[in-house]
Amino acid sequence: MGLLALGTPLEWPEAKKRAQQVREWGIEQLLANWRRARGKERDVLLWGDEVEYLVVSLDDAAKKARLSLAQAEILKSLARDEALWQAGSSENDANGEHAGEDPPHFHPEFGRFMLEATPGSPWGIGFKDLLKVESNMKWRREVAKAHMAPNESPITLTTFPRLGTKDDYIQPYYPPSGPALRSQFVPDEIANPHIRFPTLAANIRSRRGRKVELNVPIFKDQNTPSPFKDPTVNYDLHLWPEDDDVRNGAVKDDHVYMDAMAFGMGSCCLQITFQAKNMTEGRRLYDQLSPLGPILLALTAATPIYKGFLVDTDVRWNQISGAVDDRTPEELGEAPLKNDRWRIPKSRYASNSTYISEDPRLRKEYLDPDLVVDHDIKKRLMDGGMDDLLATHFAHLFIRDPLVIFSEDLEELDLSKGDHFENLQSTNWQHMRFKPPPSDKDDIGWRVEFRSMEIQITDFENAAFSIFIVLITRAILSFDLNFYIPIQRTTENMETAHARNAVLDQKFYFRKDPFSARAPKAPAQQSSDGSTFSSTTSSAINTPPPSPPLGPVEVEYELMTISDIVNGCTDGSFPGLIPLVESYLNSVNVDVETRCFLASYLDLIRKRADGTLWTGARWIREFVAKHPSYKQDSVVSEEITYDLIKAVNEVTTKEGRNGSVGWELLRGKKN
Amino acid sequence: MKLILSTSNIMQGGRPSVIRQPLTQKSNVELITSLRSNFLAHQHIEPTNGSQANGNGVSNGHTNGSHSTKDHRNWTGEQNGALYIPAIDFSQPGLAEERSQYDITVKLFYLPGIPASRRCAHTREAIDLVLKELHVESIDLLIVSFPGILFDADDDSDEEDATATGEPDDFDSMVQTWRTLESLHEQGMIAQLGVAEFGSERLARFLPHTKVKPSVDQINLKDCCVVPKSLILYAKQEKIQLLTHNDCNDILPVGMTRELLGPTDKGAGILASAPEANDGIQGDVEPQWVVKYTAVVKDRGVVENKGYFALADVGTCVKSRP
Repeated sequence: MGLLALGTPLEWPEAKKRAQQVREWGIEQLLANWRRARGKERDVLLWGDEVEYLVVSLDDAAKKARLSLAQAEILKSLARDEALWQAGSSENDANGEHAGEDPPHFHPEFGRFMLEATPGSPWGIGFKDLLKVESNMKWRREVAKAHMAPNESPITLTTFPRLGTKDDYIQPYYPPSGPALRSQFVPDEIANPHIRFPTLAANIRSRRGRKVELNVPIFKDQNTPSPFKDPTVNYDLHLWPEDDDVRNGAVKDDHVYMDAMAFGMGSCCLQITFQAKNMTEGRRLYDQLSPLGPILLALTAATPIYKGFLVDTDVRWNQISGAVDDRTPEELGEAPLKNDRWRIPKSRYASNSTYISEDPRLRKEYLDPDLVVDHDIKKRLMDGGMDDLLATHFAHLFIRDPLVIFSEDLEELDLSKGDHFENLQSTNWQHMRFKPPPSDKDDIGWRVEFRSMEIQITDFENAAFSIFIVLITRAILSFDLNFYIPIQRTTENMETAHARNAVLDQKFYFRKDPFSARAPKAPAQQSSDGSTFSSTTSSAINTPPPSPPLGPVEVEYELMTISDIVNGCTDGSFPGLIPLVESYLNSVNVDVETRCFLASYLDLIRKRADGTLWTGARWIREFVAKHPSYKQDSVVSEEITYDLIKAVNEVTTKEGRNGSVGWELLRGKKN
Repeated sequence: MKLILSTSNIMQGGRPSVIRQPLTQKSNVELITSLRSNFLAHQHIEPTNGSQANGNGVSNGHTNGSHSTKDHRNWTGEQNGALYIPAIDFSQPGLAEERSQYDITVKLFYLPGIPASRRCAHTREAIDLVLKELHVESIDLLIVSFPGILFDADDDSDEEDATATGEPDDFDSMVQTWRTLESLHEQGMIAQLGVAEFGSERLARFLPHTKVKPSVDQINLKDCCVVPKSLILYAKQEKIQLLTHNDCNDILPVGMTRELLGPTDKGAGILASAPEANDGIQGDVEPQWVVKYTAVVKDRGVVENKGYFALADVGTCVKSRP
């Protein structure tokens, strides 16, 4: 979540009137910043991970697990500690394991039951840094836990299995249905009380003209009713106008129905941000990482339960997408366009729709021909000197309205700030994000954020996936890899990744040959002495006259399994992401200890991809299925949830060692 | 005659062979395939009218666009009695940024069966080529690989593999070779020195004979989590960094060199097809050394340039063994 500015937020009708002003000011801020920072060069690789937690409280007497709404108190207590740390009088790292590491940072999140933690300072590429990631994540968890009640703990499940049920799943308890969310399942108190968050939720709902609508297909077990009609829906509420939604067909048969931002934005993710050496490299990484988004989503799948039911999808993505979908019926194509400017095919939270690198390998066939852009904004950016691709990207993001506007910010345009730009940028939750340097910080460069991964139960897994992505970026840059496919295929892949057990059962579009045959930058040169030496210079080979015509785009990619993509095709066509990373590691100096650590991380990913190890989603499904009180009716009861949370706590600490619970996730064998 | 084989930068330019091999095994596949594909890429050049117009007279009567790829003189270059396969234009810039941005590691493989007495010259020759290729004046780390040493993680006793090489590399010659490296270090040409496949016993025996201690010991591990404790402790004590690699011990055998350069479909057509044929260079071929260089952008961990040179003697130039 972005910075939490304070002020007087505008309600939607008022905010709507000022939307154009915010967009225009945002674009001017972007242009000013882009002019300032486009020439930034030689920024080093820095990267950071963001780990998000649910705060869960266990009631052993009642055998209940509940979400704790103690975020504010925990953060306050953490902040006190951080201040002590800064002053150098803390005892929190007496054992010295984290000597020299800055204390971790904790941040609020949308859910009042959530925490986010980042390393105290960003990581570098030094291999010693890579070794610190996992222990730092564990440290963050310990520090967070130390500031919670004894029966509370930070757990890294993507969603709380019984969020939105009729029981007292939150602590302290509040009954559902408040003015901001108007949900019939969750109270407003579920959200962070900072004014930004209720405003965000309320304005999304107002703009949309009804509540958000999430229908997740139910997993049909042998005793699940068919058709399944969500039994938790109340059709007789008359408190808010939006209570009509369910009477107007918002609930679909055979689906679990949810109606609030909290069901999506209350999910935990694992996000990685990289600093590129300059804008060009940032744009290249943005493009090349984009096709990996759905692949990593399927690999990290961990979300099989919503509102107390097993569902037929494995990941959180579309639920978040639906939970912040502010599109009007006109924009959705349900009503003829009258007041709105265009139909918009995707939610603000969705897979990305643009490629932005000025890369000769980027063919126009890869771009989305139906991309919606604001042409006035694009023209303004190009008049301001920005190139077509980047102007298109931002003119696409800026088709949206700003959702939270503080009236104090509308008094004067400050070109040295980026607040209006960030207003739109940070509420475009695409799976890749291209981040300009902050206007007010000279020491930060162009960055790219990789946002699709699901949080994993253990820090070992979270470190493994974070480091894997970092190594992939190094392999992309070193081997000049080319993963381009038409961007609509990535959109389709994102859908494919939702299927139950997609990691093993589904195939994804992926580029067959990642190696580029592109000419080097240096032009061919002849030496003047006329010796044999000059007859054929080494560069001349790379400028074969004339370049072979490009084949049809469709032959460049095919459907592959995740195992093919990660481990390589057995027929030798696609080399595999892990072999690419290993080939990279073989080209740099890595010490024995580091390589051993890295091997264990890469091994996890390799085995997730080939099915030797289970995804979190599969493990949770099996846990429920095998639970003695499960009735094969898709219902995940309070008792099962309690036991599941206890098991998750155990996996987090024992990591499946010696046949302990969760070995299927992490070890693949009991001993 | 000397043959200088080169791969040019194998990180760039679409060389799928770099990756598509079993990577967990140590192998010389990377060297062989990248040499082969570099030869092939150069053989396929069709000289353009423009570039041939300045009369370097090497097309030997072949008309433009249809000259035989079989005639290696079209794509190799001769200079100071050495044949460069393919020709190298050393005027091309080696690195994109200034020297200080890079970590340059060079690994020199002394080959089995080649007399240790030649190593002094070989080392100079190999380093000079790398410096020339990368347009730099020094390298950060030189790791030398002596033939016949096999590191065995299971029992921590590096063996001298006498069967493979005919004769074990003797300790004195290693020490002798090290003197050469130390002098290059003194001249500022090499910042750090390293060895490969040394177990703790060999290290302990070796260190007292050195003025400049090796700062790196590079070991190949089948399973890199099984490093003998004695080696870890000893290396820590002596401040020697243990690094991993996956290079082959016998990286360029004679037979392989023949195949690479020979007249068959797989070969580059440099060597004659038969003792009396005049379709190539006559005589025996004997690979002398192989050098691998890697330039990594320090703060970003990006491998910008990586390649190999190999030198082989051929024909009447093959020196008789002392």
